[in-house]
Amino acid sequence: MSADATPLRGSVAGWFAPVVPEARVAVLRSVLYVFVLLDLHLLVRDPIPLSHHPDLYRPLLLARVLHLPPPSLPLAWTLYAVLVVGCLVGASGRAPRLVGWVVAAAFTWWVAIGFSYGKVDHDHLALVVALWVLPTVGAVPGGWSATRRSAQAGWALRCVQVAVVATYFLSALAKIRSGGWTLTSWPESYILTWAIVRRPHGLGQLLLPYPGVLRVMQWFSILAELSSVVVLWLRGRALLAAALFWMGFHVFTVALLYIHFAPTVVCWLAFAPLERLVPWWRARHPPLEPPVPVPSRATRDLARREG
Amino acid sequence: MRPVSRGSLVWRVLAAVALVVLLVNGSLRMEDDAWPFGPMSQYAFSPPEDDTVVITRVDGLLTDGRRVELPLRVETAGISRAEIEARIPAIEADPSLLRAVSDGWVARNPTSPRPVELFLVQDETRLHRGQPTSTSKVTLAQWRVVP
Repeated sequence: MSADATPLRGSVAGWFAPVVPEARVAVLRSVLYVFVLLDLHLLVRDPIPLSHHPDLYRPLLLARVLHLPPPSLPLAWTLYAVLVVGCLVGASGRAPRLVGWVVAAAFTWWVAIGFSYGKVDHDHLALVVALWVLPTVGAVPGGWSATRRSAQAGWALRCVQVAVVATYFLSALAKIRSGGWTLTSWPESYILTWAIVRRPHGLGQLLLPYPGVLRVMQWFSILAELSSVVVLWLRGRALLAAALFWMGFHVFTVALLYIHFAPTVVCWLAFAPLERLVPWWRARHPPLEPPVPVPSRATRDLARREG
Repeated sequence: MRPVSRGSLVWRVLAAVALVVLLVNGSLRMEDDAWPFGPMSQYAFSPPEDDTVVITRVDGLLTDGRRVELPLRVETAGISRAEIEARIPAIEADPSLLRAVSDGWVARNPTSPRPVELFLVQDETRLHRGQPTSTSKVTLAQWRVVP
């Protein structure tokens, strides 16, 4: 191995690959593999039923470039089986590179099939990026309680963070682009009214008679999305406040339109000091003390009574 | 601390820069087709205050004479509304594509009467100054189920 080139804090390389505890990667990997298991059954759960309808399939660019075969029931079931086994092994932390890339490829393919029937969702970007970059860290000795730190771990987490922030910032960019590159056309439109009419839901229906309020909310959300980039440079309490703000944002969109961004939300953990999880748990659940030795007189009494 | 070689650091920085470039390029120039490097285009358009909001549905005329909605969800029809909406022009040109809905619905509702005819319909809600006013139903395509 060549000499250590660990980047300095403050340098460009140090921003892309900060030195952080590897336990963060170990915890995040386990959480995300469990999340993918849920995702298969709750979110992108249609590749198997959609495989019955080859006449509705319109492959994404990715599938055309890689010459992926069109979906079929055997293919969809194989991907499903690979993902279930891969995620279970991956969550346990075994063979992180091999298992990690198999899961990354299988999940990307699975989601691409789900998105090849006309509807593309944008909540899976950070999760897909995370599944591809986290295996690069390789084995983390000690797993969740690892004490080693590395730039390799920092880079993987930074990529996930960038993908999370890109999900917000670039959605603002797409809105500005759709309005002919004007900032005002989207927030001044009736997009929330349109969305609520199509997805009538609790809070949304209450707010439908107040287009002015909805417009204020549109301005608020596009400005929040545009300023989301700042999150990449926040630390400590400011970062916590930003994370809580965005969690609140997602709770609100669920209440308004029943649209959640769960795959993006779970990737916010890439910002969290996950290495504190195990010490925190251990402090609250101390290992049991060795049992008090039973005095020999007591065992003699017991033997006499039972005899 | 785990050491990192210069080469390993260089490819990482380049890969991260490439990720950012691909994502920004997607938002500036590409369409949904380029996923995962396409634009974040959900809800990225600007309906005017007098827009017409459409909701696409599929109705089925059952063997017992009832006309009911066959809800477009994965768990009820094996396909969701968004997928049918994305293929409206294709379905109008070839209504037999509605077979996806009848097959999916029959497979998930084996004890219900079967649909004999399917209708692709849209509820059109007109907005006036940003307020929903009237709603009407338009039939876009219909198809007699061929067993």
